[in-house]
Formats: sequence, C-alpha cells, structure tokens
Amino acid sequence: MKKKTCFMVGVFILFMSSCLILLPSQGHAIENDDCMECHSDDSLERSESEGMKENLFIDYNRFKFSVHNVNGITCVDCHADVEELNYDNDVPHPVSLAMVNCDGCHEEEGDAYLDSVHKKAGGKGITIPCYACHGYHFVSHLEADSVFERENAFCLRCHNPDNSHDWLPQKQTHFAFVECAVCHAPDSPRYIALRFYDLISKTFLSGDDLLKAMGTDYEGFMAKIDLDKDDIISLDELETLVLLLRQKDIRGTFHGELVVEMVPTVHHINRGEANRECEQCHNPESAFFSEVYICLNKDDGTREHHRVERRVLESYYVNHFYAIGGTRVRLLDKIGLALIVGGLSVVTGHLLVRIATAPARRRRKEKKDEFSI
Amino acid sequence: MENDKLMYIHPAPVRVWHWVNAVGFIILILTGIQIRFAEMIDLFSLEEAIQVHNYVGFVVIAAYGLWVSYYFGTMKIKLYFPNPRTFVPDAIKQLKYYGSGIFKGDPNPHTMTPDNKFNALQKKAYVGIMFVFLPAQMITGLFLWRVKGFENYIDLLGGVKIVSTIHVLLFFFFTAFIFVHFYLSTLGHTPLAHLKAMFTGYEEYHEPPPSEEAAP
Repeated sequence: MKKKTCFMVGVFILFMSSCLILLPSQGHAIENDDCMECHSDDSLERSESEGMKENLFIDYNRFKFSVHNVNGITCVDCHADVEELNYDNDVPHPVSLAMVNCDGCHEEEGDAYLDSVHKKAGGKGITIPCYACHGYHFVSHLEADSVFERENAFCLRCHNPDNSHDWLPQKQTHFAFVECAVCHAPDSPRYIALRFYDLISKTFLSGDDLLKAMGTDYEGFMAKIDLDKDDIISLDELETLVLLLRQKDIRGTFHGELVVEMVPTVHHINRGEANRECEQCHNPESAFFSEVYICLNKDDGTREHHRVERRVLESYYVNHFYAIGGTRVRLLDKIGLALIVGGLSVVTGHLLVRIATAPARRRRKEKKDEFSI
Repeated sequence: MENDKLMYIHPAPVRVWHWVNAVGFIILILTGIQIRFAEMIDLFSLEEAIQVHNYVGFVVIAAYGLWVSYYFGTMKIKLYFPNPRTFVPDAIKQLKYYGSGIFKGDPNPHTMTPDNKFNALQKKAYVGIMFVFLPAQMITGLFLWRVKGFENYIDLLGGVKIVSTIHVLLFFFFTAFIFVHFYLSTLGHTPLAHLKAMFTGYEEYHEPPPSEEAAP
C-alpha cells in the first residue's frame, strides 16, 4: 500500500514538472492588452499599394463599449490567424491578416446575406464584406437607433434613395419615417416604434429618463401602466401614462417610426423584391401597423419594448406619425358621415316639403292672378 | 314677362374660377375618398389618386389666385361683406324665407343685382368659405403634399395628424356643401336659372311684384 502511494506521488510530481516545462513553450494566451501595446498608437499605419496608407490605430475607449468587447469577444477571437506574438519581428504577427470570418459566429446572418443583392455584387468585381456596413471594431447595438440613424449608418453610405424612388409619392417623408429594410427586406418582421418626445426639452426621452419621471424601473414599468395585466398597453392605459408624465411637468407626444426587427433576415435584400404597392401600408388592416411598441431606449443601444394597442396610432397621442388611410382617425369618418348625411337630409327634406306644398302655392298664385286681372 | 331684363351678374373671371373650382372640387373629392378609403374603394390606384389629387389641388389654388386677383383688383370684394347694421335682420328674413316663405310662395326677400348679388346668409357663408375654410384647406393640402418639406410649420400646428384632421374635416364639409350649394342653385325663378347664369354671366331680373308679402 505504501509502495503504491509513493508511486502515485511520483507520477503526480512528474506530471506537474512536465507541465512547468511545457507551458512556456506554448506561449501565453494573447490578451487585448497585448494588441493594444502597438495598436493604441494613433500614428500606427501600414503602406498599401499606390502610396495609400491604412491606419491601424484602435481607439480602445470606443472599442471597450463595442458589442463584441462587452460580450467578452477578444481581438484574437476574430483575428483568429494571430496565434502567437513574436516580438523579435518588426511586426509580431503575420503582416497580412486573413479576412475576419463573421459567419463563424453570425451563422444565420451569413446565410441570409448569401442570397442578397449585396453579396451578388461580388460577381461584378465588388466585395461587400460585413464590415463595409457594420464597421470594424466599434460595432454597437442598433436596436435603439432611429430610422435616421439606421439609414445614415448603413444604406445612405452608398445609396442615394432620391435617385431611385421617383415613383414614390412623398418620398422624403417615407425616408424619414420608414426604414429602408421595411420595404427592401420584406421577409423581416417590422413594427411601429413609439418614442416619447418631450416638447419642453425638445428631445426624445431615454428609457431611463422616462422611468425616472414615472418613479419606476424597467421591471416595474408594465406593472404601473398595464392595469388590466394583459401585457398590452391599451389606449386608456397610454392616456394614463401621458397624464402621469404631465403630473411630473413632462409634456410631450409619441413619435412613431416603422422599423424592422433586428433579425438575420434583414440581410436578405434583393433587387425587385421591394414592396411597391401603396395599398399594402395605406389601409387600416395593413399588417405593417399591426405591431406597435413603446420603446424604452437604453444607453448601450438596446431597447426594451412593450406592446401597445394598434388603436393608439389612430389617436391624438401619436400626432407625428400618420399613414394616409392606414392610421386614420376613425372618429373623423363618423363626423364626416354625419356632415354629409346632414347636408343631404336638409336638401331632401326641403325639397320634399316644397313638393308637398306646391299645390298650395299654385292655388295662391292662381288666386293672385285672378285678383290682378 | 315684360318687366324681365338681363343683368350681367357673373363676370368672366368669376365664371372661370367657379367652374374650374367646381370641377376641381369634384375630382378632389373623388380622389380624396380613394386616398382615405383605399381599402373600401377601387376607383383608381392609390398612387394615381394621390398624383391626380396633387395636380388638381394646385389647379384649385391657381383658380383661387384668379378669384383673389379679380375681386381685390376690382375692389368688388365688398360684395362678400355683409352690412353689419342690416346683417341680423336680413339674415333672419332670409332664414324665414327658406324656412317657411318659400313653401308658401313668398318672394325672395333678397333681390340680386350686380352690386348686391348675395343675400345675407350667402355673404356670411361665402366669407367663411373663401377667407377661412378654402385657404385652410389649401394650406393644409400644401403641407400634406410635402410633409417633410413643411415639417417646421406642421410641427407648429401640432403634427401631421392635426394638419390632416383639419384637411379631412374640411373635405367632408365641402362635400356636404356641394350638395347644399347645388340644391340652393335650383331655387331661382326656374330650377336651371342660376345654373345657366353661371355659364352665361346673365341673370334674369324680375321686378318684385307689388304685393303685400313683398313688403319688408
């Protein structure tokens, strides 16, 4: 037994010693700090062909807020071909790195992109990799971005929608309120995003500001507003929210925008597949307005959203979003009907009384004519 | 009748304005119905309806410009303004006429002349229509034509839905007005007399009969 114990201890010591010997030869894992030793130098650049230079500086203060860093993705998780750093060389890793393979993690997005017009453009000598739109190191959440921000950051960098939408009435208005992908990625779910606009400070209230004014937090928001607990904010409940804010001296209105959900299919954009039928949106039964959400935007670019009754779009709490026909105020139709029916009734009634009294007038005229003779 | 004579009541610019405006209104109402109720009505495609509505809207605005130029240029605009001293009794008289006198065969208390072609109620109604309702309809229509371009003005009014509400309520009002207006135009000495005069410019003038009912 004693011999056996001695043997086990010997094996353990041998194993530990071999580890100590082997570890240095494998090198330590490459940390972001290792990369930043060189890449925090804002003058770091490399020469490209024809005298062009590529800046290799990474602003770490921006990078640390990027969605990848926040989720613990390190430099070498993406730049996977940097396996070791050899400081004996001028450049401690291969000078030319392989293209980052985003599909490795973003598989569904990659699949949706494969059959898109942007990918197909590759056949014409143009390559549009993910980072052409999403940028390199400072990728952030886009969910909370407005239509304006989403379009500026993406589509408008290459496209001028003015050149290709002459058929579209009110094109500037559409561009301002409808995200490009709503029509151009028809497979993607879309929704009306309502954001509270403070008329005093003339700014959109962030989720934190709105909740602070209401004296609640993200968990308590629905409990405070959704009084019937059906997980949908009804028109009456929205009214309560507005009144609650007014009590806190916050006066405002809800601005609406039609945006797509951030799902992989937004990458599946193809020529000729855009929705061009006006009636698809501009009717009250349109599926484009069936999903309406109040959005509580967070500083990290994400948003928490809560379902709102569609009827809210037809109310005067959402005065800055109006799709002709689609989100019309039904009460006006009733008033209009009353006006027209009223007008016609007056006319018809008057005419009928005139017809009914015609014999009496005729008799009176005859009498008068007799008298005048 | 012997004592009938023709009076030149509607000068050419007024007739041109009137009929351009009338045809324009009918097209605007039809296309407006198509735009607002696209899911129920299929007279035109929504795209066509909007295009036609926009073009015709500008024609109506141009016609209004003609109306303003003519009436202010000739200072005949005073035809539209009721006399504040006689307005109330005149309006009551006119209301009594439409409410009962017309059924009994009483003569119209208002006699049309080139210098006084509207009765008190017409003056009141047309001042409202020509100086408030129609300009409001044109301005809101213009704003809705380019929501983005006029967004500052739209925001001042409280948002696009407020602008649209004004436009739509006036659209319903004008639709109802056209029925009433057309009916009232048949109340001349013959059903087509006023309509004919709006084409020719000439109304037949009838001396008011020297009867007791004609006395004020």
